[in-house]
Amino acid sequence: MFVELHQVTAALYLAAGLVAGVGLELPAPRLVRSGVVLLAAGALVHGLAFLALHTAAQPPPLTDLPAAVSLAAWIAVMFFLTLLRRARLAGLVVLLGPVAFVGAFYAALRLPHSERTPFVGSASWPHAHVLLGSAGLALFGLAGLAGLFFLLANRSLKRKRPGAKPRGLPLPSLEALDRVNAVAFAAGFPLLTLGLVTGFIWMQNESGRLWTGTAHETWTAVAWSIYAALAALRFARHQRGREAAVASLAGFAFLLFAVVGVGLLA
Amino acid sequence: MRILLLGMNHRTAPLELRECFAVSDPAPLLGKLVAGEEIEEAVLLSTCNRVEVVALTRRLEAARLRLRAFFARDLAGDAPLPPGRRLDDALYEHLDSEAMRHVFRVTSSIDSMVVGEPQILRQVKDAYRAALECEACGVVLSRLFQCAFAAAKRVRSETRIAERPVSVARVAVDLAARIFESFGDKTALLVGAGEMIEAALEALRGEGLAAVRVANRTEAHAGELAHRFGASAHGLAELPALLAGSDVVLSCIGGDAPLLGVEVFREALRERRGRPIFVIDLGVPRNVDPAVNELGDVYLYDLDDLADAAAANADERRRETVRAEAIVLEEQQRFDGWMSALQAVPTIRHLRARAEAVRQRELERAIPRLGLDEGQRRGVEALTRAIVNKLLHAPLSRLREGAEREEGLAHLEAARALFALDDPAAPGAEADVEHASRGEPPPPEEPEEPGEA
Repeated sequence: MFVELHQVTAALYLAAGLVAGVGLELPAPRLVRSGVVLLAAGALVHGLAFLALHTAAQPPPLTDLPAAVSLAAWIAVMFFLTLLRRARLAGLVVLLGPVAFVGAFYAALRLPHSERTPFVGSASWPHAHVLLGSAGLALFGLAGLAGLFFLLANRSLKRKRPGAKPRGLPLPSLEALDRVNAVAFAAGFPLLTLGLVTGFIWMQNESGRLWTGTAHETWTAVAWSIYAALAALRFARHQRGREAAVASLAGFAFLLFAVVGVGLLA
Repeated sequence: MRILLLGMNHRTAPLELRECFAVSDPAPLLGKLVAGEEIEEAVLLSTCNRVEVVALTRRLEAARLRLRAFFARDLAGDAPLPPGRRLDDALYEHLDSEAMRHVFRVTSSIDSMVVGEPQILRQVKDAYRAALECEACGVVLSRLFQCAFAAAKRVRSETRIAERPVSVARVAVDLAARIFESFGDKTALLVGAGEMIEAALEALRGEGLAAVRVANRTEAHAGELAHRFGASAHGLAELPALLAGSDVVLSCIGGDAPLLGVEVFREALRERRGRPIFVIDLGVPRNVDPAVNELGDVYLYDLDDLADAAAANADERRRETVRAEAIVLEEQQRFDGWMSALQAVPTIRHLRARAEAVRQRELERAIPRLGLDEGQRRGVEALTRAIVNKLLHAPLSRLREGAEREEGLAHLEAARALFALDDPAAPGAEADVEHASRGEPPPPEEPEEPGEA
């Protein structure tokens, strides 16, 4: 059941991105808003998919990569939907939809074949690790997407080819994108940090050692260090705008490699 | 009934001529216009780009002369026309379907100087309301304008004719909205003064700008503008300090060299900690060094950039007029159908009156000979009425249905010939004489009962 629900979720996310993309291109504000509705419908089905996963799988199912990636996609979408009320961000669906689709589709493909990571003792530490780590990944992903959108919009404005867009089109402003970037960054960094800490505790419980030296551990620690430096630049040195957008995009690319890429290569 | 439109607009008459005919209160003039016998209904539209009268008449030639006299005497009044200008050269005339189409195009903003501008719909509505209030507008023109409003609504919702801004000021505001999420916490700095800068400022203030500062070479001029906009006035020497606190800079000041260079913006950005500045340079020659646009958080648009964007938007709007024209045609056909149906009404009433007259006359002849009591007489009356209704039901229905189509006129002519409606010697023709002598319209139609005896 959870596979089918993931497939429906993936289809809805992809449709959301495509519809919003067509809406921005035409431009047709209604289509962009329809994209948001599809994304919200996808998030609803995605939530049901996790419910089905929890009821169907023993041991608790979030400790494998496909589930973690899917969870990150879901959290990113949910966080985005909560931000929608505060700014005209609907246009961002054009990027978020396809990215969320990849997360859900990957889970739909891999979940039936994935092997749950064995663990001893309580399931709460692995769960906390995956939940917090996925949430951190999701928020940094959203910050990266906002950064990418910022760079595209900034480029068209700087080149003085902004294109004729009607005012009704819910195209995010540079200011709104920068704010999304900052908020997602501010929330994502503590979550990622807690994800790392719970991961270490999990390892301590599992193997009796805090540091086991796996590639996943090493690359994630490097990614965390990079984010710590970026957070210092962003909040202590008041980095904003284009620089912050480039930093969040590059940081997310590295984090994605550290968490997902290394996991896939292993 | 004919619809006649006489008027002038920005294409046929220069402003100096149009302003001679502009009217702020059309009611007294309209009342005078429809008081005569030539014009039955009229609506007068007077905007900065056009003065037009739409009239309904049964006497076309007389109405033509009356409308021309209306322009020459009532609208122009005693004001002399500009030298070398003749009223007849500026006036255009549209009749029937051309007049309807013109009203639809004007209301839908296809005929406007700036295609898709929103003000014209409100202006036409005001003109229509004024005509209604002074009872110059009756059933036909009311229907025409209601259909025109429906067409305008469809054009605005189904095409993109009005989506893109075409004035430099609106383009600037739209660009600002691509940079800033809201204007409630933003400050604008005006460098210099001028109509264009004021137009841009007005548009920005419409978005809810928090504060405005004005800087000028002469502080007195700055103070004057600042007073009008509730802003603070400054000298040019304060510009570097003002820049740091300004989110939008509107500049239009005379001078040979750029007034604001890269360094002053770099310094401002340092203080602003990366918050962007949107600079609109309307000066010729330019007031802001173009290299400022290379700075990461400054978005500099000069007059040419804004004009290019406005021209591209105007091209888009013109492309949309093709779809708008199709909508106008559809709505016009709808109105045409209604008008045709309206033309069928007199024939339908005439035919019913004739039939009723024949029935009454035959009853009057027959009843005394039959020696019927009251109940029987009522029964015979009901029977004859039912027969007449049944016989007339099909032809009247065909006339009504056909009236909205091309063959409607042929049906009407055939009905008049077959039932000899234009023959005064035909049975029942005395009913025509009675109606004509009373000067009243034929009796209202009775509901038909085709299925009942």
